[in-house]
Amino acid sequence: MKNEAEIRKNITLTVNGKKVERHIAGRMTLAELLREELDLTGTKVGCNRGECGSCTVILDGDPVLSCTVLAVEASGRAVLTIEGLASQGKLHPIQEAFVEHDALQCGYCTPGMIMSIKALLDRNPNPTDEDVRRSIDGNLCRCGSYPNIIKAAIDASKKMTQR
Amino acid sequence: MVESKLLVKGTPPAPLDRELTVVGKPLNRRDAAEKVTGQAKYSGDIKLPNMLYGKILHCPYPRARILKIDASKAEALPGVKAVLTKENTKGWRTSWYKIPEIAFPEVFTHEGGEVAVVAAEDRSIAQKALELVDVEYEVLTPMMDAEETLKAPPPPLIGDEEYPGREIFDRKPFVIKRGDVEKGFKEADVIVEETYTTQVSHHGSIQTRACVASWDGENLTVWDAIQGVWYSKLALADSLGLDPNNVRVIVKYLGGGFGSKAWSHRTTFYAAKLSMLTGRPVNMERTRGEEFVNHSRRWDCNIEIKMGAKKDGTLTAIYQKAVANMGAAATGENYYCMQIIWHTANLHACPNVYLEQIGVYTNRQITGPTRSPLNMPAIFALESHMDRMAVELGIDPFELRMKNYTTYQTVGTDESEDPAASGKSYDTKIPYSSKILDQCMKLATDGIGWEKRKILKHSNQGAVKRGIGMASYIVLQGVGLHPYVAEAKVAIHHDGTINLFVGVVDIGGGQQTILTMIAAEELGAGVDDITVIYGDTKDTPYAPSCHASRLTPEMGPAVVQAAAEARQRLFGLATSLLGVGLDEIRSKNGEIYARSDPVHSIPLKTVCNRITPGLPILGQGSRAPNPKEPMMATFGAQAVELEVDTETGKVNILKVAAAQDFGRAINPKLCTSQVYGGIEFGVGYALTEEGLYDPQTGKLLTKSLDQYRMPTSVDFPSVDVYLTEVEDPYFAYSAKGAGENTNAPTPAAIRNAIYHAIGIWFNDLPITPDKIIKAVQERKKKGEIRAL
Repeated sequence: MKNEAEIRKNITLTVNGKKVERHIAGRMTLAELLREELDLTGTKVGCNRGECGSCTVILDGDPVLSCTVLAVEASGRAVLTIEGLASQGKLHPIQEAFVEHDALQCGYCTPGMIMSIKALLDRNPNPTDEDVRRSIDGNLCRCGSYPNIIKAAIDASKKMTQR
Repeated sequence: MVESKLLVKGTPPAPLDRELTVVGKPLNRRDAAEKVTGQAKYSGDIKLPNMLYGKILHCPYPRARILKIDASKAEALPGVKAVLTKENTKGWRTSWYKIPEIAFPEVFTHEGGEVAVVAAEDRSIAQKALELVDVEYEVLTPMMDAEETLKAPPPPLIGDEEYPGREIFDRKPFVIKRGDVEKGFKEADVIVEETYTTQVSHHGSIQTRACVASWDGENLTVWDAIQGVWYSKLALADSLGLDPNNVRVIVKYLGGGFGSKAWSHRTTFYAAKLSMLTGRPVNMERTRGEEFVNHSRRWDCNIEIKMGAKKDGTLTAIYQKAVANMGAAATGENYYCMQIIWHTANLHACPNVYLEQIGVYTNRQITGPTRSPLNMPAIFALESHMDRMAVELGIDPFELRMKNYTTYQTVGTDESEDPAASGKSYDTKIPYSSKILDQCMKLATDGIGWEKRKILKHSNQGAVKRGIGMASYIVLQGVGLHPYVAEAKVAIHHDGTINLFVGVVDIGGGQQTILTMIAAEELGAGVDDITVIYGDTKDTPYAPSCHASRLTPEMGPAVVQAAAEARQRLFGLATSLLGVGLDEIRSKNGEIYARSDPVHSIPLKTVCNRITPGLPILGQGSRAPNPKEPMMATFGAQAVELEVDTETGKVNILKVAAAQDFGRAINPKLCTSQVYGGIEFGVGYALTEEGLYDPQTGKLLTKSLDQYRMPTSVDFPSVDVYLTEVEDPYFAYSAKGAGENTNAPTPAAIRNAIYHAIGIWFNDLPITPDKIIKAVQERKKKGEIRAL
């Protein structure tokens, strides 16, 4: 029997709007693909078992924990990471609001936190404080920036709906 | 003009006699854009060509001896480049807070000790290699609980078994005394005695320890995850026998520290050694489980307090006996030997105290700095007991604290960390450099609506009861002695570029932003005109590790001095331009002007053009040690309003009002974030976080983030932050330091509010729903609980 590590697969997916093709180990997670194959290290891995939320990315519109998704499962689908949010050097309104409201300290949970909020605002453009709290209840921030994260999300939602 | 008492070596610069234009502004942190875009490269994000991946094999037992170890199969695995075990590393020592430790011992003194490390072409090969290391252990009986361990003499050491720091601390009492405690109890009208217990707790940084080490045959470069680059540089050089000049440590971003990364970890020593052996860069990153099992933690403590007071609330005596479980190693120079009793000696006025602290070495994980290290158990016990006393006396808890308010301190900051000072009688009264804890207590209680307490007592009719409680705290501030000496440099160039060189790490507190703001204020330059060189030992002078709220109080004065020196030299080039003497020149917002004629200013950059190209103006600053007098400390108070569901045991914190005396906030936006961070730790410590051990095997059971339960977005309460301001001429713009300590009062404030809600005292942390339900049921049986 072949070792699991030796099973390799061809995958094709879209990452931040760009087509990506790779021949990868079947056991590789989406987080590993992003970080190690594509050098998109903005996606952080804090636990590698779906407990901390720092690896959150958006897969076909839904927030997922990329450490618990196999790269092969993402084949044929579209992935959005933190690196895909700013366009032409201009910060996304959520990123701008995070800067302005100091919604980060050490910054390690920040990419996952922002992706969870992006997914929330995509499906609910006018969330309440409680909606924001619920949307990030799987994203741990040990620096305790939660009050500012909630303020930033609400502020960003207002600015985005005004446009 | 006010005389400057700034804590620097040499003559302190004169205070700026103008309004401040930078300090006190809520500026955004300077590295925010990198962090929100994912561009910030943390140590584990560094990828070098030809890099190997390291993995560590951990001992699964709290106390065990290797009978046989064979790594030959691992070494033979294709893709494995090096394996280190005790067999090929004899004589090599790493260190834990300067105390040397055997790099790979034969006998392990805590679960998670390192048995072997592997460097391989990729992580899966490294992992597979670990599984091929054959180890045969003799499992030894561990010492786990401190109280139990104290009942028998320490077992004889086996083989190379060692417990760093044991000879200093194990089972030795450290004592603070004042007055006559027996006499004090005789004078008391009311005496209250209780025992408080606190749990093992962890840092929970979201970034696990990770590093990349690269040896080029002469120089070692390490991208580390540590709170102090200079600590790492010196510790690595010492352990590996290298000239410190050949070691460079870089930390541009750190994914949370909270003390866990205050000192070099073995991960880094091993990665460096493996890189030196293989000649290739080595990445070493730990898993979350490893982070729990093989890292320092907060001491679990047992604290007895007996307190006496007169009917009017005046404290007459405090007796305290605290036992701290030190685990298998404690910190070296910074060992906190009096840190559970120091707060009791200083927070409230009391003429007669006898306070004793004992450390016990066990086979639990080692202990070390953890956000408000021993302040947490100390303040929890003391401030819980103050409320207990208030209830016994029938006095409002706020009034009791005001009744015993003190404007002096008795036990010094250096003495609290000096074993030789133990047993001395502390009767001198030394004033504080600044203290407005009274204002903080007023702000916190007003902020929560303290007057509602009386109404709530009569309106708690349903199963969900509401309560309000408070607590206060004191924390020592700054030291200035080795290894906390602090240096800073400023360079102003011909083209107007200004560089600030500080060898510090921005651990998320915004340290680089704060120090840049201090330099900008002192230079009269714009914040954006300054490029700060930090987080790198190359080109920067020595700086302390960023822990114990250290950076602003230690580095701040050095930065002021360096900037002031450079500024005065620049002013020297402006005298002819402005036609006035040096003493008459001022600067602010990037402009230089004569004091008498601020309208006719010259851009700072224009004056810089007079600097010789290639020969920048330099300024240097050095922090002086804290004097014996006055005492330096920060203070604060918190009040909490919460609900307790007497049926489910759930505690719902509605609001926290947190008021701090930090001197002055250099940047109130960043300071407020620090307070939130404290509340995160305080709420978790009070209600949910606990490291649990299997009583049979002594193994840690809570090794993941779903088992070790830190507050999430839905647990985090609404917080009102009050930052007060008070003059303190010893620090940079009165900034005493803020980051670490705001978790200290939270657990007692929560516990006191729970009592107010349901009339039950909880003395054992964390106060989990099962404990509440059990206590409520017992009360119901006895028919004692009101309105259930």
